[in-house]
Amino acid sequence: MKFKHFLTVAGMALVLALPFAALANEGGAALKHAEVNTADRDQINRGLTVFTEVCMGCHSAKYVTYKSLIDYPEIGLTREAVDELRGDKPITSGLISDLSPEDATVSYGKVPPDLSLIVNARRGGANYVYSILTGFEKDPDGKIPDGTFNEYFPGHRIAMPDPLGWLDHDEADTAVLEAQAKDVAAFLTFIGDPHQNERHAIGKYVMIFLILLTIVLYLLKKEVWKDIKH
Amino acid sequence: MLEKMMKTKLFGWIDERTGAEAILKSQLTEYQVPKNLNYMWNFGSLALLVLVLQILTGIFLAMYYKPSAALTMGGYTVAFDSVERIMRDVNFGWLIRYMHAVGASAFFVVVYMHIGRGLYYGSYKGPRELLWIIGVVILLIMQGAAFFGYLLPWGQMSFWGATVITNLFGALPVIGGFLQEVLRGGFAVGDPTLNRFFSLHYLFPLLLAAIVGGHVHALHVVHSNNPTGLDVHEGKSTIPFHPYYTIKDAFGVGVFLLFYCYVVFFNPQMGGYFIEVDNYVPADNLQTPPHIAPVWYLTPWYTILRSFESKLLGVVAMGASLAILFLLPFLDRSKVRSARYRPVYKQMVYLFFITVIVLGYCGHSAPTPTLKLIGQIATTYYFAFFLLLPFVHKFEKTKPLPEEI
Ligand code: HEC
Repeated sequence: MKFKHFLTVAGMALVLALPFAALANEGGAALKHAEVNTADRDQINRGLTVFTEVCMGCHSAKYVTYKSLIDYPEIGLTREAVDELRGDKPITSGLISDLSPEDATVSYGKVPPDLSLIVNARRGGANYVYSILTGFEKDPDGKIPDGTFNEYFPGHRIAMPDPLGWLDHDEADTAVLEAQAKDVAAFLTFIGDPHQNERHAIGKYVMIFLILLTIVLYLLKKEVWKDIKH
Repeated sequence: MLEKMMKTKLFGWIDERTGAEAILKSQLTEYQVPKNLNYMWNFGSLALLVLVLQILTGIFLAMYYKPSAALTMGGYTVAFDSVERIMRDVNFGWLIRYMHAVGASAFFVVVYMHIGRGLYYGSYKGPRELLWIIGVVILLIMQGAAFFGYLLPWGQMSFWGATVITNLFGALPVIGGFLQEVLRGGFAVGDPTLNRFFSLHYLFPLLLAAIVGGHVHALHVVHSNNPTGLDVHEGKSTIPFHPYYTIKDAFGVGVFLLFYCYVVFFNPQMGGYFIEVDNYVPADNLQTPPHIAPVWYLTPWYTILRSFESKLLGVVAMGASLAILFLLPFLDRSKVRSARYRPVYKQMVYLFFITVIVLGYCGHSAPTPTLKLIGQIATTYYFAFFLLLPFVHKFEKTKPLPEEI
């Protein structure tokens, strides 16, 4: 086996092994898949509405300022809409819940985590958020009381009260609730890394440039080396 | 191009005052390099490129980063907030930060390939012993710099990684407690730790730049090894570095940037390998994450550490696994350099590469009894590789060497 061949094989083995290593870390029930598109303005804006109307009762997203809701092209709210949303909070304020940490501890026994980075901070990302929101079921063992059992939460006992009312919803509402959960997951994915669309867009040009550059350099190298026998 | 430039008046003026022409000639246009180097020899120049990238992006990050563990809203800290500010509000801050974070991993990919090449082709043997030893110093400083840097975002992995590693020093007899306290700037990892790690994270790359200068100088005294490992005769089988290897290295840079930019722009977290998922959770000294693992490039040594029941033994073994690299040039007694002509060494070195990958995998994964056993076997071979080397030449039948490359 030549050294070059060895490297190819080793490289391939490594690339193949990585996803398995990632899987091995996850554990728990397999997550539901959430179709999210962080470039879809409508979906992100619907998600923003779910966030401000439901989740913000308990959660903040402190890294997302009211001003950025105007500035991010993916959201692009008008100044008037933002003024209405923020009430008397300054425009440079983050999306801060009115629930104080003290009150939250009294009511839920825990402070709800800030959601600015939740998609980046959980294995499974958007799928995890979506699964949690649509994971309130009856405990198959009957041990954990209804409304506090979540199929996808580690340990299953969750301090968050079923925010979308998934547990006892009517069959007819399933699609609506699923859509809400997906939309808010899309919004959270977007705010986890708000320059991701810009990054992808610039990245395409960078790659095209580099491919051309590399080809030119290769031809140049061949030209310079043409008289060298080795 | 270079020749033309050297004939200009301005260059003449500078040359009279610096001897620039002699330097350029001896280091580039007349510096002799074997003509048969393969693409494995590109990783040295790539390592230099990544070092420069890391220093440049790092300087800009330091303009916005704030090393303070003071709490802010929601359990975050000033340090964590400043990183998010870079990611969200600073113009192209996201690009600079992802370049730096991905650059850290890229640095190790490139340097590990560079070291692997040196191992395979026997580049560590005389007269290049000191060149190799300086290289090992570079590796150690890189690992230190990366470790200090990983604390700075003050996420869960930053905090607990630093806690676990500084704890190791506490296991050393006599000076352990003192050393641990000096590193942490207190009894536990906290604000003083963050401040000194930031200071050291800025210092270490400066050391690196200086030592890399020494590495390149040492190289230019003893000249490059080559895939045959033979000594080369100047003129017949060598060519000047410039233009031949400048253009070949430039092509290598193009290929490298393709991979690097792909990751930076399309997958900067690399599924939690380059930026770990838990590091998006703010550091919390009351909540230990279920599974603490260093970033991938430190995991092989972490496995060696975990392979021993006694913490002290583990620490000593980990230290020894790095220190033994210094001794490599003196352990290997074979007169033949390249693994091409050394059938036994070739098998050994392949197995060594696989072993390091296995060690890395074990260190990254949550510990299970099977993985622990695999890690212990791999650790055993890691050391066996070095300890067998002094004896291999006694029974190894090397293949006939060619006259000339
Ligand atoms: C009534 C208060 C409340 C509302 C409303 C609420 N949450 Fe929560 N949420 C909590 C609490 C409390 C926790 C902490 C749960 C725990 O750790 O057991 C939590 C935790 C979470 C988590 C983290 C789970 C984990 O892995 O740690 C996510 C994600 C989440 N909420 C998303 C949402 C979303 C999205 C909404 C809006 C649709 C929402 N929450 C609405 C109270 C709330």
